[in-house]
Amino acid sequence: MQADHPTHRIELDSATLARFMPMHLLLDSKGLALAYGPTLAQVLGAAAVPGARFEDLFEVRSPGGAVTVEEVLARGGNRFRLVPRNGVKAGLRGLGQRLGPQGGILLNLSFGIDLISAVRDLALTDADFAATDLAMELLYLAEANAAVTRELRGLNLRLEGARMAAEEEAMTDPLTGLRNRRAADLVLDRLCAARAGFGLLHMDLDYFKAVNDTLGHAAGDFVLETVGRILREQLRAEDCAARIGGDEFVVIVAGRSDPKTLQAIAGRIIARIDEPMVFEGGTARVSASIGIVRSADFAAPDATQLLASADRALYAAKHAGRGRAVLLAAGE
Amino acid sequence: MRSRLGAEIATGSDMDSLLLRSLQSYVLDTFGTASWHEVCSAAGVTVPAFEPMLRYDPGTADRIAEVAAGVLGRSVDTIWEDVGIYLVTNPDREGVRRLLRFGGTGYADFLHSLEELPGRARLAMPHLEAPELTLDEVGPDRFELRCKSPLRGLQRVLVGLLTAMADDYGALCVIEPDADGCTKITVLDRQHTEARQFHLALPEG
Repeated sequence: MQADHPTHRIELDSATLARFMPMHLLLDSKGLALAYGPTLAQVLGAAAVPGARFEDLFEVRSPGGAVTVEEVLARGGNRFRLVPRNGVKAGLRGLGQRLGPQGGILLNLSFGIDLISAVRDLALTDADFAATDLAMELLYLAEANAAVTRELRGLNLRLEGARMAAEEEAMTDPLTGLRNRRAADLVLDRLCAARAGFGLLHMDLDYFKAVNDTLGHAAGDFVLETVGRILREQLRAEDCAARIGGDEFVVIVAGRSDPKTLQAIAGRIIARIDEPMVFEGGTARVSASIGIVRSADFAAPDATQLLASADRALYAAKHAGRGRAVLLAAGE
Repeated sequence: MRSRLGAEIATGSDMDSLLLRSLQSYVLDTFGTASWHEVCSAAGVTVPAFEPMLRYDPGTADRIAEVAAGVLGRSVDTIWEDVGIYLVTNPDREGVRRLLRFGGTGYADFLHSLEELPGRARLAMPHLEAPELTLDEVGPDRFELRCKSPLRGLQRVLVGLLTAMADDYGALCVIEPDADGCTKITVLDRQHTEARQFHLALPEG
């Protein structure tokens, strides 16, 4: 192929060579250093002295088994990888060529993928690279990429935050700040699936309609908010209190199956709700009826069955004269 | 009103998003949260947070900037120029300045590198419809930068970037935008003051 083209012999002075190949190494025919490109000299530091032996400057990574520059050229053709022996963490790629039968050897090296750490460790600048070198583009790309990745990570975090807030909103009753029906159903399903022991309280306010009718809807809302506060105060973090209808509430008391305990909790809630609620000069008086069921009373509890039983218990409580709590065992 | 959730609107350009996010950061950092919320509510934006990686209606950036001009009591050109300066000089946004400094060792090199800027930007964001930039050297130390973009604010953002980068390189120059999207740059002194330090690689960590 070369025979088709005229061969030009050119002579370069070392300054021109250094400008075109700032990482070249010129060796004599025995493999002793004659001249170093200025950037390679920075890599090698104090080791870059005239007369240094190639194998003392570099460990050959490939071609495997090669140690001297002659072996590198003989086995690897003109492609090889080196690591400086002075501890600088920079893999170097290179190509080399013997200049004439008895002449010296010219190697030209470049940083591989270790470019960024080499630039950092050696504080290299734009001027240390040939204008044709793509080093600047690689450095630029690495930083631009890092910036884009950072933005994406930030976006993910912000979207995740927004998703969690939306989910929280979708599970919350805006008036009372309690959970809503959907959230209560999810909690019930989860506890039933886990065969956990818990108590379920179904509560309905007594005389609530009268408050709405005589004191107005704002007073009614105030009563609901107050009931929400009372439920939050009476319950633990692991319990779930939800408003599932106009003046209808569900309370899931996690890990409690003792009838006396559940009755006591219901009693405390009723006592607090019985207290007069002062609203803009007027006094709202409501009470509450509560039906109680225990998951332990069911062989295979499921949410629908539990809620239906709790509803029957609630009906029994209303029937028994309001302002009280009734616990129904399964089948009752 | 149309939803302002960017994810639902896929027709906008990435440049709109980048300018919107820059404008948002500039107003938040310079004038505070209350001013930004005022701008957003005056513009009818329900969620006062623009995402650089999502897309918005084309022209949203220019529209919000017009509203911001009214709220903040300054011209829209001044606002966009300040956004450009802010992007280079704000210590929290060191990344922009660094990416621009990769353009060259001196201010003239940097100006010439602007033509490569869209290509460089696409390396990191392949979908970016970066505006075409052409730089003509019309005389010794006299340049003309042309920018083709449907975004009206972009030319003034570039003016701000050029001004701040001149400071960064320590160059003294006059930068004059005209109405046709052409910006004349006259470098009076390439080394007026000492350039800010620039290391090619960031320290580790």
